[in-house]
Amino acid sequence: MAEIINKETIDQLMQINGEVRGVVLKTDEEYILKEKGRAGIEQVEQKLKELGHPIKYEEIRTMDFYPVGLRIASLLTIKEVFDFNDKEIYNMGVFATKMSLIIKLFVKYFPSLRRVVINESPKMWRKHWTIGELIPVELNEKKKYAILMVKDFDLHPIYCPYLAGYFAGILHMLVKSLKIDSQETKCSFKGASYHEFLIKWR
Amino acid sequence: MAIKESLEEKKLALLADDLASLENYIHDLFDFSPLPICFISPIGVVLEVNPAFEAIANLKSYEVIGEPIEKILKKDEAEVLTKTTLEQGSVEGKEMVFFPKAKEKMFSQVFTKVRKDEKGEVVGYFLGIFDLTGIKGTENELREAQMALMNILEDSQAARKEAEEEKDKTQEIINSLTDGLLVFDRENYLALINPRAEEFLSIKKGELIGKDVDDFSSFEQLKNLATLIGKDIKEDLFRQELKLTEDSILEISTVPLTTGKTKIGTLVILHDVSREKIIERMKTEFVSISAHQLRTPISAIKWTLKMMLDGDLGAITTEQREFLNKTYRSNERMINLINDLLNVTRIEEGRYLSRPFLSEIAPVLQFVINSYKEEFKKRLISFKFKKPKRKLPRVLLDVEKIKLAFQNIIDNAVKYTPAKGRVVISLKGNDKEIMVSVKDSGVGIPKEQEERVFSKFFRGANVVKMETDGSGLGLFIAKNIIESHGGKIWFKSNKGKGTTFCFTVPIKKTTKKSRKRT
Repeated sequence: MAEIINKETIDQLMQINGEVRGVVLKTDEEYILKEKGRAGIEQVEQKLKELGHPIKYEEIRTMDFYPVGLRIASLLTIKEVFDFNDKEIYNMGVFATKMSLIIKLFVKYFPSLRRVVINESPKMWRKHWTIGELIPVELNEKKKYAILMVKDFDLHPIYCPYLAGYFAGILHMLVKSLKIDSQETKCSFKGASYHEFLIKWR
Repeated sequence: MAIKESLEEKKLALLADDLASLENYIHDLFDFSPLPICFISPIGVVLEVNPAFEAIANLKSYEVIGEPIEKILKKDEAEVLTKTTLEQGSVEGKEMVFFPKAKEKMFSQVFTKVRKDEKGEVVGYFLGIFDLTGIKGTENELREAQMALMNILEDSQAARKEAEEEKDKTQEIINSLTDGLLVFDRENYLALINPRAEEFLSIKKGELIGKDVDDFSSFEQLKNLATLIGKDIKEDLFRQELKLTEDSILEISTVPLTTGKTKIGTLVILHDVSREKIIERMKTEFVSISAHQLRTPISAIKWTLKMMLDGDLGAITTEQREFLNKTYRSNERMINLINDLLNVTRIEEGRYLSRPFLSEIAPVLQFVINSYKEEFKKRLISFKFKKPKRKLPRVLLDVEKIKLAFQNIIDNAVKYTPAKGRVVISLKGNDKEIMVSVKDSGVGIPKEQEERVFSKFFRGANVVKMETDGSGLGLFIAKNIIESHGGKIWFKSNKGKGTTFCFTVPIKKTTKKSRKRT
C-alpha cells in the first residue's frame, strides 16, 4: 500500500485557511462504522494520532467548525488505512448526504429540483464551508442533467470523487431515479481553474 | 470593537451549543419512538427514517434514504398514499402491504401527515407504520377457529342427524320387537314402553310413562307384574313366569342398563310364552292320559303274571318260571316308568302337591335303605348309614314323596357305583334344617353335564352304557319333591371318583295347618 499521507502532508493541509462543519467528519465516522465497525474507527483515530493531529470522532459536534485541513486529513487517513479507491470515496460522498444533519435542514426545499439546484445549493455549500464557492451552472430537467461549478476549493484531489458522490446523493433525493451518474468534468488539479461536475439521471 | 466581537463570538458559541443540544434532543426523540416513522418527499423519495423504521424494514437508514417509497410499499398503493396525503393532509390507519428487506411481506397499517414549510408549502409527509402481523395472525387464527367451529358445528349436525336416524332405527326395532320392553330410568321411573308391551299389559304408554312400580299397582292388570319385579326393580329376574290370563303367559326378565360402570336404568323384557305353555300343557295332558291308559292293562298283566308265578293257574316248569320272572321284572320297570311319567305330569300340571305331616325322617330313610340292602349286597357295595345319636326334631314331610325322592337318589348311587364301591348315607340336623347326604364312590357326573342333572330325561353320557334302564326322570322328580318341602338339593361330583347328593328339609314351627300323622 503506497503511503499517501504523512505528517508533513497533514501539517501542510493544516496550514490552509478555512473551516468546515463537524457534520462532514461525523458522516465519515458513520461510514466507517457501517463498513468497518468500531475497530475501524479506532484504526483511523490511531493513525491520525500518529500523524500528530488526533481526532475523537465521538466528540465532534455536528454544527461546530473545524479546520479544513483536518477534514482532508480524515479522508486521506481513511483512504490509506482501508485502501479505499475513488469509488469508495465517491460512495462516502453519497452516504454523507443521507446522514447529514445540514442536508436535512434543506429538505423543505426538496419538492423543487430547480430551487434546490439553482437557489439553495450555494447556501448549502456555505452552510458547510467557509472557503470555496458552489455555483450552479445549468439545470436541464428535460434532458435530465445539471452542471455545478466549485470555485476556489483546491484542498486536495481526494475531495473530487467525494464531491461527485455528494452531488449524486443529493440528486437521489430530488429526482425519483435509481440511475444517477455524477462525474467531475473539470478539475483545478488537472489544469482547469475550477471544478465542474456533471450530474445526469434517467 | 474588540469587546463587540468577543460578545458576538460568545453569542455564536451559545447558539452552537443550543443547536447541538437541539440536535441531540431531536435525535433522542426520533430514536425513542417505538413507532416506525419515515419522512417522504412529495415525489415519493424517502428522506429520513428512525431506528424503529430501520428495524421493521430490516434496512439501514443509508439503504433506504434517497430511495423511492416503492422500495417498501406496493407501487400503486404508494402512489395512492402519496396522492391522498398531499391532497387531504393525512391518512389514518390505511391497511397496506409492507415489504421489509429479505422478509416476508408484512400486513401493516399506515398513518401519514404532511409537513409544510413556514409559507405553508408542502415539503413532504411523515409516514408511520403499524405492524399488523400479530393482529392479522390473530385474525387468521380467529378465522381458522371460526372455520373449525363451523366444521365442528357441521360435524355435530351431521352426527346429530346420524344419531337421530340411529335413534329412529332403534325405535323402529324396539317397536317391531315381538317381545315387550319396559325401560326404567335410574330413578326407576318408566321411560319407555314399546307397543308390544302396551298390547301385553292392555295399557297405553301415556298412562304409564313417568310412573314408578308403585304406581303400576293402581292398574289391576299390572299388579302381578309390579309384585314380580318389585318396587326397586330386581335386576336378577330371569324368565320368571307371569300369568296374565289362563292362556296368556309371559316370561319376565330384567337387565340392568349401564354405560361403563354407571347404571342408567333397567330393561324389563316381557317374552310371550303362551303358545309354548299351551303346547307343553297339551303334551303333559297327552302323557298323563297315555300313562293312565297304559297303567291299567300293564297292571292287569302284572297280576296275571303274578298269578302264573304263584301257580294259581297251574304248575309251571322251571324254564317257564324263568321266562315269566323276566317278563314280570320288565313289566315292573314299565310300571315304574309310567309312574315316573305320571309324577312328572303332576309336577308340570301343578298337581303334585305335598301333603306334609310332622314326621321323623330317620325311619323314612331307614325304610328305603332297608329295601336296598339286598341290592347293595348283590352288587358288592358296602354301605353305611350315619345317624346322629340324639333324636332329630320332627319335620313336615310328605312321607311317600320323600321316600320317592330319597329312593331316586339312592337308586342312582347303587346303579352307578361299581362293585366293591362304597355308599355312605348321612343324616344330620341343626335348629333350622335337616340335611341328608348320599355319598358314593361311583363314576361321577361329567363336568360339562352338571347343569342338566336335574332336567327331565337327563342321563349322564357315561352311565347310559352302564345301565340301560332308567328314565332320566328320577332327579327331576326328587328336586321337585324337595323344593315343594321348602328344601334345597344339590350335588358335588368328581368324575371317576364319586358323587355326593345332599338335600335339606327345613324345620318349621308347627302351625294349625300342619297335622300330626296318625
